[in-house]
Amino acid sequence: MSAPTPVREPVWSLSRKAIALWVAQGAVGTLCYGLVVGAFWLLVPLDAGAAVAPARWAGAAFVLAYAVLALAVRPRLRFRVHRWEVTGEAIYTLTGWLTRTWTLVPISRVQTVDVTRGLLQQLFGLATVAVLTASSQGTVRVPHLDLGVARHVADHVARRAEKIRDEAT
Amino acid sequence: MTRLTARRTSPRVLLVHTLTFRQARSVVPVALAVIAGRGLQGSPTTVVALVVGVTALSLLWAALAWWRTSYLAGDTAVVLTRGLVSRSVRTVPNDRIRGVEVEAPPVHRLFGLVRVRIDAAAGSVASEDEELVIDGVLRTEGDRLRGQLLSRRAVVATEAAGRHSAPEPVEEELHRFRNRWLLYSPLVGSYLVLPLAAVGALFRLLDEVPDRYVPRPGQLIGSPDLSDGGLVLVVAGGALVLLALGAVLGSAVVNWRFRLVLRGGSLIAERGLLTRRHTDLEVDRIRGCAVSEGLGMRLVGAARATALVTGLGDAARRGQLLPLGPREDAWQLTDLLVPSPGALQRHPAAARRRRLGRAVAPGGVVLVAGAVLTATAGWWPLLVAGAVLTVLGVPLGLARYAALGHATGPTSFAVRSGWLVREHVVLQRRAVVGWQVRQTVVQRRAGLATVQACVGAGQGGYAAVDMAAPEVAGFTRAASGSWASALAG
Repeated sequence: MSAPTPVREPVWSLSRKAIALWVAQGAVGTLCYGLVVGAFWLLVPLDAGAAVAPARWAGAAFVLAYAVLALAVRPRLRFRVHRWEVTGEAIYTLTGWLTRTWTLVPISRVQTVDVTRGLLQQLFGLATVAVLTASSQGTVRVPHLDLGVARHVADHVARRAEKIRDEAT
Repeated sequence: MTRLTARRTSPRVLLVHTLTFRQARSVVPVALAVIAGRGLQGSPTTVVALVVGVTALSLLWAALAWWRTSYLAGDTAVVLTRGLVSRSVRTVPNDRIRGVEVEAPPVHRLFGLVRVRIDAAAGSVASEDEELVIDGVLRTEGDRLRGQLLSRRAVVATEAAGRHSAPEPVEEELHRFRNRWLLYSPLVGSYLVLPLAAVGALFRLLDEVPDRYVPRPGQLIGSPDLSDGGLVLVVAGGALVLLALGAVLGSAVVNWRFRLVLRGGSLIAERGLLTRRHTDLEVDRIRGCAVSEGLGMRLVGAARATALVTGLGDAARRGQLLPLGPREDAWQLTDLLVPSPGALQRHPAAARRRRLGRAVAPGGVVLVAGAVLTATAGWWPLLVAGAVLTVLGVPLGLARYAALGHATGPTSFAVRSGWLVREHVVLQRRAVVGWQVRQTVVQRRAGLATVQACVGAGQGGYAAVDMAAPEVAGFTRAASGSWASALAG
């Protein structure tokens, strides 16, 4: 990431609790894969074929690698690459690690603001803010903000959009 | 002024629906199955009785439907009530009407009837439900409805603008389709598909008919000698000619006597040989224009122009300004509606390298696979195919690069891309409802970025592919409002 970015980076990061949520998601995923591999160890006898022994160890290695990736690496990486900002006139986000996507939507063209809370998000006190415009492509989504922050942002954007809305869509 | 009583559609629509078996159509597959099963052993009287019965049933059905359907075009809304048993009432407020389309399918024309479609699409997501259809009113009533609905809309608009007297609308014909432009059709992909689709439908129909009624080609003309190369050539040539003729014919059916008229604040397009359609576009809702030229069209200098209109359902068809014609005419229309932002700026050399790389890569993969196969199994055709593909990738990449460009002007901006269909889109500054900048790993190393303008019309977004990364902030700022300066460092 040494090359200069085409546009500037938004300044705010998500709630730190998002890392915990992603770790929890990773733990659930690891558990699922672990159960599948464990069932394979227990239920498929060694003498069922020559490929069983290597398959057992490959499965175990996969679960281990996935656990490291999903619990230690991915949450922090995701936290680093997600950035957002609300300026006086626009909402601005940056997502993606390999392919990076910056999205900027002017508040004057905002049509609806949604705050959604998934099951895990409710456990961690987080919420996702989605800002929709007339274009199917021009949707801004900020995942995993503190519930209070999310509500405040949604309220602020909706209020301001009403004030400075222009007729053109 | 207007009597606010609900009206029925014209009773003549009964004849139309009986003739087209609109309601009885669902019975036809069952009847066909019964006939196929019993093998039509009955005497001609049974057949006649069957036909009479179905027709009577259809007439009864149509009559009931007509009796239970009524519409009301009031001062504030249009209300359509229908349904035989379960009633449905659909209301469209007048200020939400985006367009009124009057169409006259062939059978309707026979009885002097039209079908009025009232479009109230809300967002860029079009759905059937956002349309209100009044089927089967007299032509005069259809024109009256259109006039009333659109003038009411215009009154709302002028009141909003603080004016009191609307000037008498002046009609100005912008252009008229010339029949010789039909000759372009065989070079346009979508028209070439038309005859193919017709052939496909024919084969499906043949599939439905029991086998013993289908003549075998072999029985008719004997078995032809396929080893004769000349015959194959003649057949292929004949098929090509037929395809071209079909394309011209299909294009004529759709585009016959197309004319575009500017009346008041609306663009009115009229078209169609069998089904005549009037489509209304509000000039105020036009956010931009797209001029697209397919590969074949570029050879002869043909193009098509489409208006990008906000909140228009079925925009690809209804937004057409020039379905097919010379490039100069397409640009003349586009410049009239959206001021031109000037000549396009080329994209940097890194963009050419990226286009070339992407065009050559598939051929390269085949080439490597071919080399491996040649070395291991001595099978060389894949190697040759890979080499040919790789070499062909070079002109393809260069052509794709040549299509890239962007420009900004005082009130509008433009982007262009595409090779199979090259699309040059000119958009007003106010059209932009958001920006999306994307950069892949490869683009980051090459100092490029793809900038997409999100627009509440047309496809929803139009991209300037592989622009020089340092130019992005300047471009977005110049192509939209001051809010875009949030992107600049």
